[in-house]
Amino acid sequence: MKNLFCLAIIVLFLGGCSLKEDVAELYLQEKPLHAEVTLPESISSREQVPLKVILTQDGKRVEEVDSLEFEFWKHDDFLHATSEQPIKLEAGIYGTTKKFDSDGLYYLKIHASNDGSIIMPQIQVVVGELSNSELEYLQKDVQEKEEGHDHHH
Amino acid sequence: MNTDLNTTSKSDTQKKSSLYRTVWRWHFYAGIIVAPFLIILAVTGSIYLFKPQIEQVLYQDLYEVTPLGEKIPASQQIEEVKRLYPDAVITKYRPGENETRSSEVSLTLQEESLTVFIDPYTGTSMGKLNDNDRIMDKIEEIHGELMIGTLGDRIVELAACWTIVLLVTGLYLWFPRKKPNMAGILFLRWNKGKSILARDLHVVPAFWITAGMIFLVMTGLPWSGFWGNNFQTIVTNTGAGYPPSVWVGNAPVSTVTKDIAEVPWAAEKLDVPASEIQGFIPLSVDDVVQIAKREGVHPSYTVFIPREPTGVYTLSAFTPKAEDEITMHIDQYTGAVLTDYRFDHYGFMGQVIALGITLHKGTQFGLINQLVSFFICLGMILVALSGFYLWIKRKPKKSMGAPKSTSIKNMKLFLVVLVGLGILFPLVGLSLIIIFLMDMLLIQRIPFLKRFLSA
Repeated sequence: MKNLFCLAIIVLFLGGCSLKEDVAELYLQEKPLHAEVTLPESISSREQVPLKVILTQDGKRVEEVDSLEFEFWKHDDFLHATSEQPIKLEAGIYGTTKKFDSDGLYYLKIHASNDGSIIMPQIQVVVGELSNSELEYLQKDVQEKEEGHDHHH
Repeated sequence: MNTDLNTTSKSDTQKKSSLYRTVWRWHFYAGIIVAPFLIILAVTGSIYLFKPQIEQVLYQDLYEVTPLGEKIPASQQIEEVKRLYPDAVITKYRPGENETRSSEVSLTLQEESLTVFIDPYTGTSMGKLNDNDRIMDKIEEIHGELMIGTLGDRIVELAACWTIVLLVTGLYLWFPRKKPNMAGILFLRWNKGKSILARDLHVVPAFWITAGMIFLVMTGLPWSGFWGNNFQTIVTNTGAGYPPSVWVGNAPVSTVTKDIAEVPWAAEKLDVPASEIQGFIPLSVDDVVQIAKREGVHPSYTVFIPREPTGVYTLSAFTPKAEDEITMHIDQYTGAVLTDYRFDHYGFMGQVIALGITLHKGTQFGLINQLVSFFICLGMILVALSGFYLWIKRKPKKSMGAPKSTSIKNMKLFLVVLVGLGILFPLVGLSLIIIFLMDMLLIQRIPFLKRFLSA
């Protein structure tokens, strides 16, 4: 009796309990929208650039998205942001072409919503050559992240 | 009426009286060991109950702001903190639950955790607070782990579990054996002499607060380190508890794993191809605040900033009322809500535990809740002290003054109860094994100890 008791306790102490891997399935689950963006390897200014996004949700391509918009702006110039309505290219793939007026660092923000999930991923786009100030801006980010890393060893 | 601690009813059978003595003996030793901890828990608990009011007074200068037009975006408030503490890592942002509440930016700096309070209307710092200097956190640390970490946590847990043993044995000792006469059972006897009053001051209030004490122990145990974590894991695994990541378990990860923008290392020239710099960048905290508004997250939420590329933004609010609680995980690149766990989405046991916690902390029903809990704490202190007095009064110089032991083997029912408690609360079980071993190996073999402990 006492031995059994001992054993039970040792098992509890050493093993403890662990969560089942798929335990989240027992509770409320969301169906987050997922975006995959295709950009050309290199982009030059003043030429038509194809931009595509593949939208998936719940493991399936999103056939007819509820709403979708591409928003563009140049680094440090959010006030002059422009929007475009991509069109459906094939099932789950939406796209547009975009002409960037000058070289530099751009942002593309995709506003999409479907079946209760709303997403707004932001993509950094490099057009032609970056200016020194843009490089410095990107570099500043690196420093912060590196320092951050150091503190968490 | 004869439930006095130092006599047993003569009409009881021999067996009953020896059972009574055994129960009393356990109550006696458990009480002596547990009472100091109970007093610590009751004192710190009764202070911690009033945390909202105390902190409101202590930190008024850091909390209160005068509304002045629109609030400045969260990202700018965080920028200001980064400017003030260039080497810090920002860990949390709390926007403030109403118009007159400052926002908080938490950071770690050289192993220390600081909170900077920002006036959201001017974007300036109102001052900082080192987590180590938060007096209520210290109180909580004593209450939860006696300020000595894991060992303290286990000791507190053990004391809490043994409190159940005390309550069970105490109730047995209290239970009226003769015709019910409420004096000395439900009411104090003021005019029967000092020793009767001393006894009543232990027994009567103890009975009155028994339910409250069981409640405090049972609602406190789920957040203990050993029993609590295992209990939470078991309950979460059944689907009836907290969803994962609210208490036990990990947050989901951000769904974007490739195409994350890389950053160039050298400022002078691009040392990585442009295509590497292209890609997803983390969401601005302003977008996260927007999402919180859109999803109707309780305004007292805190945003936990992701630290890993696969991390998520976590919005979490543990509100005064359990039904407003929320834990929400947001993909740091897409802003998709990955999980949205509110009170309504907890399993039944999860809801019970959550309510238990807010009741235990005294926040669920505000002041009434605080006062009821406060009186239970006062009662606990009174019972512990009067119990201690009863012991001192009967303690002979050369021994503990414990009731004589009878072999536990004759007490089948009592043994079953103990073993049951030992299985339900493994720490109790472990301590029982240690007690039995000590009794077998030491106390029974050393005459002085045997005499001293009346073993």
